[in-house]
Amino acid sequence: MLITLKRIKQLILFFEDGLMVLLLSATVLLAASQILLRNLFDSGLIWADPTLRIMVLWLALLGAIAATRENRHIRIDLFSHKLSPRLRSILAAINNLFSALVCGIITWHAVRFVYAEWQDGATLFATIPAWLGEIIIPIGFAVMTLRFLFNFSLQLLQPDGG
Amino acid sequence: MIFALLLILLALCGAPLFAIIGASALWGFHQSDIDLSVVVIEFFRLAEMPVLLAIPLFTFAGYLLSESGAPHRLVRLTEALLGWVPGGMAFVALVACALFTAFTGASGVTIVALGALLYPALREAGYKKNFSLGLVTTSGSLGLLFAPALPLILYAVVAQQLGIGGSISVDDMFLAGILPGLLMLLILLAWGLWSGRDLPLKTFTLNEAKSAIREAAWEIPLPFILLGGIYSGYFALSEAAAVTAVYVLTVEVFIYREIPLTQLPRVMREAMLLVGGILIILGLSMASTNYLIDAEVPSRLFDWLHARVQDPLTFLILLNIFLLALGTMLDIFSAVVLMVPLLLPVAVQYGIDPVHLGIIFLANMQIGYFTPPVGMNLFIASYRFDKPISEIYRATLPWFFILFGAVLIITYWPTLSLALLERN
Repeated sequence: MLITLKRIKQLILFFEDGLMVLLLSATVLLAASQILLRNLFDSGLIWADPTLRIMVLWLALLGAIAATRENRHIRIDLFSHKLSPRLRSILAAINNLFSALVCGIITWHAVRFVYAEWQDGATLFATIPAWLGEIIIPIGFAVMTLRFLFNFSLQLLQPDGG
Repeated sequence: MIFALLLILLALCGAPLFAIIGASALWGFHQSDIDLSVVVIEFFRLAEMPVLLAIPLFTFAGYLLSESGAPHRLVRLTEALLGWVPGGMAFVALVACALFTAFTGASGVTIVALGALLYPALREAGYKKNFSLGLVTTSGSLGLLFAPALPLILYAVVAQQLGIGGSISVDDMFLAGILPGLLMLLILLAWGLWSGRDLPLKTFTLNEAKSAIREAAWEIPLPFILLGGIYSGYFALSEAAAVTAVYVLTVEVFIYREIPLTQLPRVMREAMLLVGGILIILGLSMASTNYLIDAEVPSRLFDWLHARVQDPLTFLILLNIFLLALGTMLDIFSAVVLMVPLLLPVAVQYGIDPVHLGIIFLANMQIGYFTPPVGMNLFIASYRFDKPISEIYRATLPWFFILFGAVLIITYWPTLSLALLERN
């Protein structure tokens, strides 16, 4: 059971990281080829610019998911090094629960937003449906919600900074 | 009110800033009975600003540079070319750090990447220990007023969103940063020259210069391509970022081969972690900013302040003190995203130019990086050079006062920031 869980976890991590690496590489290549096309052939791909903008959104959320995983979100860190390990882990538990709550609420409204766009049949450009680009918002915030909840329960189980 | 205090308390206790900002936006809209999906709609605007593409691309290029042998080549090159002038090694350190910070976006990597090379070199050249430590710590944030540093871009993006006080473009910020940045550099240079006045001069050797140039031959064109492209208007910012990313990737991975392909995913991941951290704050703060403006918070803040402080000069003094304190607590990215929407409308009503405010803001944040007791670079330096933090405080203090002087000049002499802008 534990081994299967670990496998699944590894698979998820691999998928997340792989997607991020692929997306960043594609972004670099696509942005660069746009410049080549413009300068050498005086043309360009019509779909490239809106796609690149969506890719930035995806990179942002995938990056934020990774930051959540490693507990490296930008935060104010004034006196954590002066607190006792016990107090620090209590604060960490509170922060995780709070973050999970915020992410959870945003996830819910993101689902509503994307669902509405899907029903409207809104498009990004040409015939590409808008929900396809926006879907990363509910997914990203949902994964972060789960991560924060996971970290929270971990701190409850191992209060001494396990 | 109680809710706001609670959020501030949580922020001080180390809750992620994006969650704090998200919570304040959700709460604000909830209080005014607005459907909360507005937060998501605002967040989606991340995908509607073409200029944001520059952020992942520049960050990626910066991480590649700092992981490769580029810092070493940069130090060797500047030493070979500038090391022989009086105050040479200090000169070298300041120029190398400013260049590197401008290209890597002021996230503390300068100290990590260059400090370990510069500190021993300074000591060897005969500079005192405290001088060298102070210089390296201070230089970690020097150069963030030069293009294409991320904070300049981010300020322009946030200011544009507010849509007040005329349009502010990234190009404006790039032009405005030049003279104030040079002022800081020159003042520090003078201090370095004075401190090193008794040191023996090194001789210039043509062979070393040639070989250093040859070694860095692939990297030397980069600043020229990038800055030439941006300032001539040939490249849009996101294009310049794409060119930089491709160029750096090709040079460091395929020509110098200093970053093996197997390491590339790790470097990408590190870079995107920072990008994700910044952009999620930016996305949610667009929602909270929207609420702030709906609720007329900036104009109420101005009314409250203007009843007490009428003249712009006093306002600027207060602003400096406030930003200095802010800079010790918040990193430069979240500070810009959080505070500019509040401060810019107020400052504009006091008659301060939005571009000038941006330079004041960033210059203050720059010294906030090493303002005791909690500036981030102080801790990085203490960790990196394995010195107690109190020693770093003492070493950095003179540098702090010198640069604080520069910040005051920048604040009270708007022409310095605005002279190069074409609209004047």
